Amino acid sequence: MNGKQVHEVIIEANNSIEILERVLRVIRHRGFRVSTMNSVQMNDCNSIKITVTVSSERSIELLYKQLDKLFDVSKLSVQQITAI
Amino acid sequence: MKATEFIVNALRKQGVSQVFGYPGGAIMPLYDALYDGGVAHLLARHEQGAIMAALGYARAGARVGVCIATSGPGATNLVTGLAEAMADSIPVVAFTGQVPSPLIGVDTFQEVDVLGMTLSCTKHSFLVEDQNDLDRIIAEAFTIATTGRPGPVLIDIPKDIQLAEMACDRVSELAELPPLDGLVDEQVVAARALMHAAKKPVLYVGGGVGMADAVPELRELAAALDIPMVSTLKGIGAADPEHPYYLGMLGMHGLKAANLAVQESDLLIAVGARFDDRVTGKLDEFAPHAKVIHLDIDACEHNKLRAAHVAISTDLKLILPALKMALDIAPWRLHTLEMKVATAFRYDHPGIAIYAPLLLKQLSASLPEDHLVACDVGQHQMWTAQHMTFTQPENLLSSAGFGTMGFGLPAAVGAAMARPDAMPVVVTGDGSIMMNIQELATINRAKLPVKIVLIDNQRLGMVRQWQTLFFEGRLSQTILDDNPDFVALAAACGIPGEAIVVKEQVQPAIDRMLAHDGAYFLHVQISEQENVWPLVPPGVNNAEMLEQEYEW
Repeated sequence: MNGKQVHEVIIEANNSIEILERVLRVIRHRGFRVSTMNSVQMNDCNSIKITVTVSSERSIELLYKQLDKLFDVSKLSVQQITAI
Repeated sequence: MKATEFIVNALRKQGVSQVFGYPGGAIMPLYDALYDGGVAHLLARHEQGAIMAALGYARAGARVGVCIATSGPGATNLVTGLAEAMADSIPVVAFTGQVPSPLIGVDTFQEVDVLGMTLSCTKHSFLVEDQNDLDRIIAEAFTIATTGRPGPVLIDIPKDIQLAEMACDRVSELAELPPLDGLVDEQVVAARALMHAAKKPVLYVGGGVGMADAVPELRELAAALDIPMVSTLKGIGAADPEHPYYLGMLGMHGLKAANLAVQESDLLIAVGARFDDRVTGKLDEFAPHAKVIHLDIDACEHNKLRAAHVAISTDLKLILPALKMALDIAPWRLHTLEMKVATAFRYDHPGIAIYAPLLLKQLSASLPEDHLVACDVGQHQMWTAQHMTFTQPENLLSSAGFGTMGFGLPAAVGAAMARPDAMPVVVTGDGSIMMNIQELATINRAKLPVKIVLIDNQRLGMVRQWQTLFFEGRLSQTILDDNPDFVALAAACGIPGEAIVVKEQVQPAIDRMLAHDGAYFLHVQISEQENVWPLVPPGVNNAEMLEQEYEW
């Protein structure tokens, strides 16, 4: 473990009724804490953009792959903010 | 066309000829469509029995299992099965009835938020809000359940949606998914270089091989490499058990030679396996000298628990043939073979009492070639993995990743329906069988020729073993000397049987059971003192096994 790291994750997903729960559940269960979060419906209302800042001692790569695996997630990007 | 009629048509379009379920208020419209819809339905006696049967159906060789339950308690009774399917990557599609759309969220009779409840134990899930989405949703559900790493998908359908009229009757087949990654040349080259350099390589075979339908490719690779092989619980049957360097199951109750070979190895080639804690023991001391090539369709498994030097996520049928080569490892082959011979199990147990490992060895040798064994969870499960021989992964159905007691009986129901020509056997324990004992009635209903071997030590044996070894013998809630009369219980469900208590009775009883035309119940009494050996205790590495003391 390299100490806590903070990352911003940007998720574009199908705007299914449970998408926020689905994404947040994965983030929690895989060992990450959410510090900020914003979600915006895209123009056509069929998709949603979720921007979330997460922290953990675990590798962000593990979370990235778990989120990427979700059927509703169409686009994903991660950026390191800082190390604590 | 009504939505429920459309659902049944969609099931047929998916090639589904058999479903498992239990009716109830909020799913009555779908059951009305099933009444004469041309898809066979087997009534379980509990929704958990229905989903475990669907899992057994899929694990035994069918493309996908389908189960149906009503809202509320019907849906919650599916949850254990969904989690089981998630842990063991079993393709299953579960349909649940839901209260009518306007009544969702007002605490209606038999209402539960099953979509929210099952987010953590499904690969994906749907709440149907418009009947005209059903075509897309069902096609996606079957595609998601059966492709990539398989898993459970849930479709929750409110009763008013079931009763609604469809705008269009056309049924689609499969949803489009992005294609899998092909082989990357650099990765193949890197893997081959590691294999070429290795002096002590081991092939670590998991359940993914069977799920990828890659048993022939694995065996061709193993033949080309002539390499020592170990197997996970779910991987049993994938490697040829007759291969001279096949060392058996590894892990907590693994065979000694398998664990020692892995601990000594300098290269682990993990094939459709995921470094589960029951395999690795103390993770940071697992295979401490080994580099790792990790082949798994699910990239989430790469570098999750063990860092891989080469990680490849593609179809095993593609990658395995690309790794064929000749290995210069003669001394290592000889060494592992010597360990295998020196640490082989002994069956010359003294005394007249029935010795479960020997009984299972005899059972294994007595079964016809086309057979399947479903087992439950506990000591008998580990003995089955250690002492029976399986030539195909779909011949051993075991709740591996989730360890669900109560899996065996209903899984055998589904497996027997998937493979009507195979001899279906259940190996179970006196703790596990009571978890889904009601499915004896399902076996009777469907007249399935399931042979049930109950190994009864009047204990929750695995927990009792740990209490004896690690909790100062304080047998907290593990003594079951007030068990029911199991043979009478089976007889009450129309299943004949017998009880045996001494060694000489074993082979004749097995012969009678297998010759009997129909279901049969063999009650086997064993000593409450028997333990599963070897055992890797908690907190140590796999070389530090506790072993059977052959004082006899």
